[in-house]
Amino acid sequence: MKQGHLHPSTQILRELIKIFRELDFEVYEGPEVDDEWHNFDALNLPEDHPARDEQDTFYLKNRRVLRTHTSNCQIRAAKDLKVPIRVVIPGKCYRNEATDDSHETTFYQLEGLYIDKKVTVAHLFSTVEQVLKKVYKGEIEYRVRPHHYPFVEPGYDFDVNTKRGWLEVLGSGMVHPKVLRNMGLDPEKYSGFAFGMGPDRMMLRKHGILDIRNLWQSDLRFLRQF
Amino acid sequence: MKYSYKWLKEYYKTSDSVEKTGELITKLGSEVESISGSASVDAGIIAVKINKIIKHPNADRLQLATVSDGKKEITVVCGAQNIEEGQIVPYAKPGVKLIDLEVEEIEIRGVKSPGMLLSERELGISDDHEGIKILDENTKLGTSVVKVLSPDRIIEAEITPNRGDLLSHFGLSRDLSAASGKILDKPELEIKESDTKAEKEVNVEIKSEKCPLYIARVIKGVKVGQSPQWLKDRLVVCGINPVNNVVDVTNYIMLDLGHPLHAFDAKKVVGSRIIVDEVKKEQEVVCLDGKSRPLMPGILCIYDDKSPIAIAGVMGLQCSEIDDQTKDVILEAAVFDRKSVRKTAKLLNIKTEASYRFERGVDDRGTSYAIKKAAKMIAEIAGGEILSGEVVSGKIQKQGNVKIEYQKINELLGIDFPKTSIDKHLQALGFELNEDYAYIPGWRHDISIWQDLAEEAGRLEGLDKIKPEYLPVKEAPKSGKYYQKEKIKDILVELGLDEAITYTFLSEEDIKTVKIKTDNLLEVANPIQVENRYLRNSLIPGLLRVIAKAPSFDDIEIFELGHIFDKDKERESLAIITCGKSSRQVEKIIRNFAVQISIDPKLFKMYEISRDELKRFKIKKSTVYVAEVEVESLLKEAQFSDLDITDQFEAVQYRPISKFPPVSRDMAFIVDRKYNLDEIEREVIGSSDAVILVEPFDEFVNDRFGKDKKSVAFHVYLQNMGKTMLDQEAETELRKIIKTLEQKFEAKIRS
Repeated sequence: MKQGHLHPSTQILRELIKIFRELDFEVYEGPEVDDEWHNFDALNLPEDHPARDEQDTFYLKNRRVLRTHTSNCQIRAAKDLKVPIRVVIPGKCYRNEATDDSHETTFYQLEGLYIDKKVTVAHLFSTVEQVLKKVYKGEIEYRVRPHHYPFVEPGYDFDVNTKRGWLEVLGSGMVHPKVLRNMGLDPEKYSGFAFGMGPDRMMLRKHGILDIRNLWQSDLRFLRQF
Repeated sequence: MKYSYKWLKEYYKTSDSVEKTGELITKLGSEVESISGSASVDAGIIAVKINKIIKHPNADRLQLATVSDGKKEITVVCGAQNIEEGQIVPYAKPGVKLIDLEVEEIEIRGVKSPGMLLSERELGISDDHEGIKILDENTKLGTSVVKVLSPDRIIEAEITPNRGDLLSHFGLSRDLSAASGKILDKPELEIKESDTKAEKEVNVEIKSEKCPLYIARVIKGVKVGQSPQWLKDRLVVCGINPVNNVVDVTNYIMLDLGHPLHAFDAKKVVGSRIIVDEVKKEQEVVCLDGKSRPLMPGILCIYDDKSPIAIAGVMGLQCSEIDDQTKDVILEAAVFDRKSVRKTAKLLNIKTEASYRFERGVDDRGTSYAIKKAAKMIAEIAGGEILSGEVVSGKIQKQGNVKIEYQKINELLGIDFPKTSIDKHLQALGFELNEDYAYIPGWRHDISIWQDLAEEAGRLEGLDKIKPEYLPVKEAPKSGKYYQKEKIKDILVELGLDEAITYTFLSEEDIKTVKIKTDNLLEVANPIQVENRYLRNSLIPGLLRVIAKAPSFDDIEIFELGHIFDKDKERESLAIITCGKSSRQVEKIIRNFAVQISIDPKLFKMYEISRDELKRFKIKKSTVYVAEVEVESLLKEAQFSDLDITDQFEAVQYRPISKFPPVSRDMAFIVDRKYNLDEIEREVIGSSDAVILVEPFDEFVNDRFGKDKKSVAFHVYLQNMGKTMLDQEAETELRKIIKTLEQKFEAKIRS
């Protein structure tokens, strides 16, 4: 009996989610079409913020948006679940840009969110360290550097050292007090961290796939190689 | 932004290599994207004078330049159009090594060229390849240019939108200096002013709160011309084109101190007033880039007595621009509201170096210094006298403050920094401390809460000081919808189906092909590609497209599980599509699947795609069946015996797929039964680069093949990356495969 093939994006997400499960993160999912409040404003990305330009958003005629990141689920997860919250959020996200071999309108993201009392940067670092070690089977050099994301403060990027130099693999930070408030939580009592990673690019590197457009064209010659 | 390392080092005192400094910039939060420019220029490159230029006899766009090193003359071929007789230029003789080539004597269109004249890029000192690098007219002929050029290095760093204060050489140097505990102050400035007061020449009146501060200075009697080479070089390194000495100084100051300035020709300013006001009635203006643009009400502009002369913080207007005849200059250094500049730039769809910085916020306390330095430089470079004093309107904002929550900062970071070290870092960054309050420096628009201070303390202290601390253990349930959906995928894959993930969008063309009504579709308001016009309301069109693209595959069974949309609802859907199967075979798949999760197979809506629709999709297969179900209703009924899913996957030896269709061939071999299918399959792939897929479809043992022999059969898909594969070509590749299998497994091809 012949076996079928799982799409490589499904595969990489499962591998990552397994790693997070070992760290006791459960899976949370949410909508791809959302209102601007969940996707932007609630995350401290007001209309007049320059960072909002970087998002290249698909606006829909019903005044909603195709989510630009799985962070649109941060507020939803916090409202649906009870603290301590420890979730990963996989899903498709969208960017309104012209496609070529390294740019796609559609991409997966895996977001993580952890909220509790007395959560620290040290917790964030330990979590990411464990994840990167598992993803790269311990054989990787990584570095952390400060970075800016409006929905966290402080914010950090993690890079791994590859043959072609440092490569950003994960953006993260401590949930911004404004975002905590929008979750209905008191930032004086609770803190948390969030992070996001792009499984697609990881998967492209894993298999040596050069053209990102192959992913959603789902050519059988592509699908059946996995 | 691109930074000149030489320029940085004027402020940031260091003996570190550019690479080491680059690492520090990254560590402090601005990722260095590249460091370019050569570290050394070959000493064999010498300065020569162009004595004569004539046209190349056989090429319109080439010239022959006769150059002299002071002793002898030679003639070289040159393609650049910027050379003139009398100029001093760099010349490389044959044998000299440039960044990516060694210079040779070559013949170009019938004329020999012993060596070449060089551009900045060829010299390896910048990316500029516009023309030949023109050296200073006093350069001694025949000397090595390495002495005159002392090449710069260019650091390109990504500055995050919150750190507008780093968009200048001084700003970045301040951050770098703070990392080593030093407070960087601007050097004192002495300027010579005339007795005449600037106020006598010009008044400033602010009529909008979108401009909190406006400072003007007047310089009379300048001589507009080209900037000196060193000034041009600095602008070019940072990616700005030199214009003339006055404009170049304003740009220099922007790159130097981060403050965008503007210069008006005083003669062209009607009346003696500068008025900052919002546009009241729409009007058309011509900007400095020569383009005409409409000014909408609300846009902040600079006016003279009659009309607008600049779009505040975005771009000047042609009517007041500095030209060769300009004698008197009014300099502007102002602060414009960040949101207002951003709105204007977006509205007019222009992004300038000035608007980029104003949107991110400038330092109002540094405005006076910036305009003073600009006036001083203009007087030095373009001549003229600076009228006495500034003309100021508006005021500097009160300095904000944040309470330094030492304990909370440590709690958030998960460390134990002493108060003294937090204080030290904040002071080095320019915060003034009073009691437990940090007074925010005018250039730091990103600081408003104590968490921002935590970030500063962390990055200056070094993130390696933060020791990882583990999360408490808490069992996470391996259940829920995600695992159920993944289990469904596993079951379908087990049944032989391939998982497709297709685009969420439908194009106008898809709509026509599928013949669906658009009334209930969710439409994208701002698609930049025609493919992204609507959101899909079904998975079927995407899956039919997959089939349409796979004409050489006979047996197709695929599924997709994904989100679909209509005007007011988003749902998850599961669709299965088969091709070349009878309805009974499809029903069997559904039945097998249904049994495994204990559902009624009737939950699926099953139907055959009409001939007509297949034709519209250009699918040449006769039978295509579809089965669809809403995931929500499926999960409501489903019972799973377990939720164990496959979660370990090896990297594959991926082969890129060709734009051109593959051909498929069936091959059968007789081999010893000790060889397994996998190893034979690997050899088939390994034996020819044209093989894209190998799919075993038959394997059986029979004594008629000989003792312990078996027959194995494969579909082999062959492709050519550059064109459609021809039969003849395929035969050649098949022979390679046969040969390999004969050698490795003593295989015999079955005919």
